[in-house]
Amino acid sequence: MSMAERVDNEAGFILHTRHYRETSLIVEILSRNHGRLALVARGARRPMSSIKSRLLGFQPLLLSWFGKGSLRTLHAAEWQGGDLRLQGRALMCGFYLNELLLKLLPTDDPHERLYDRYAQTLAALAGGNEAEPILRRFELDLLSELGYAQTLTHLIDGDEVRPERRYGYVFDRGVVVTEGGPGYAGKTLLDLATRDFSDPRTLAEGKLLMRALINHYLSDKPLLTRQLLIDLQQI
Amino acid sequence: MTPASLANLIEALRVLPGVGPKSAARMAYHLLQRERLGAARLATSLAGALEQLKPCVRCNNYSETEVCASCADPRRDPRLLCVVEMPADQNRIEETNAYRGHYFVLMGRLSPLDGIGPREIGLDRLVKRAQDGLTEEVILATNFTVEGEATAHYLGEMLKAKGLKVTRMARGLPAGGELEHVDAMTVAQALLDRKTL
Repeated sequence: MSMAERVDNEAGFILHTRHYRETSLIVEILSRNHGRLALVARGARRPMSSIKSRLLGFQPLLLSWFGKGSLRTLHAAEWQGGDLRLQGRALMCGFYLNELLLKLLPTDDPHERLYDRYAQTLAALAGGNEAEPILRRFELDLLSELGYAQTLTHLIDGDEVRPERRYGYVFDRGVVVTEGGPGYAGKTLLDLATRDFSDPRTLAEGKLLMRALINHYLSDKPLLTRQLLIDLQQI
Repeated sequence: MTPASLANLIEALRVLPGVGPKSAARMAYHLLQRERLGAARLATSLAGALEQLKPCVRCNNYSETEVCASCADPRRDPRLLCVVEMPADQNRIEETNAYRGHYFVLMGRLSPLDGIGPREIGLDRLVKRAQDGLTEEVILATNFTVEGEATAHYLGEMLKAKGLKVTRMARGLPAGGELEHVDAMTVAQALLDRKTL
């Protein structure tokens, strides 16, 4: 049980809201200095509630709350302004980012750098840039921030990864010399380490590696938004 | 010891949203002590509604007939189809007297993080409805929440793939709105969604 606290004007994004009792909302937020946490917005579903219209996802907000325990009370939300509009496919990608954070990031665990990367990622998506490299970069940063990413430039035994060879990846350990199986090009691993997605093969193989890693750390719980993105692609 | 029929009633009332064991017990005692006539009416109207109401085959709203009165109304413009999330949204648009086309009620919205996807709300039925050969324009009037926007995008892609004209309800300042008193996000949206004169 944490101590009673009062936090004012903390930079944060709303990851998800769900109904709570008759007139309230539970708001899952990602804040810069307090990490991910859940707040109750009391009365936010009443018709004349003034706070509800500001509790929009993907918008930079300044949030104030008080209380202790796992459910604190949100008492103010101010929009920070800016031109951050996720539309169409970019919006769907935004839901994917939120699902990753909700399922992988523990609560009350501040990650300032990850918060900043999230904000930059939303801006990049809103800017209409190609989504795939943006998503891969965020996945890599999320995994490394959570301590799940092993070095990609060296093998477990310390040898350097060579671009022309193919390698395997062992969860929680790192890069190994592959013994059959598809594996990943050395160049892919080196490109991922420097976040260089200019090579189409890096993008394709990087997607497979990221998917395998994320599935592993989700204990194979399905990602709902991934299916939606696939469905959308097939229209 | 609570008699079985009373326990059943209390348990049954708990299906209502926001009703826990205490509220359910309070409602049950209220109905039995002070509202016996009302309770009987509640029982018959609930049974009647369950029996008689089905989704209209055209608009998906609740109806006692296969095609509801709104869809069967020959004075409505068959070229316009307005998509809303819930029946209350349709009622709101009807109150304006500004729209005389047809409706489709989704009875929900896409909510990717809650596992509510295109299959769960039957978007295919809307696509089929819109391809009746008479519809010329589909107006997406889902809410301006992130879920409503996601629903509109997904629907828009599905409907455009079928060659239909798709429009999105406009958003901006409220009627009679003064910039000074409108919240900042609405002003920003209105600026971004400005139109050429």
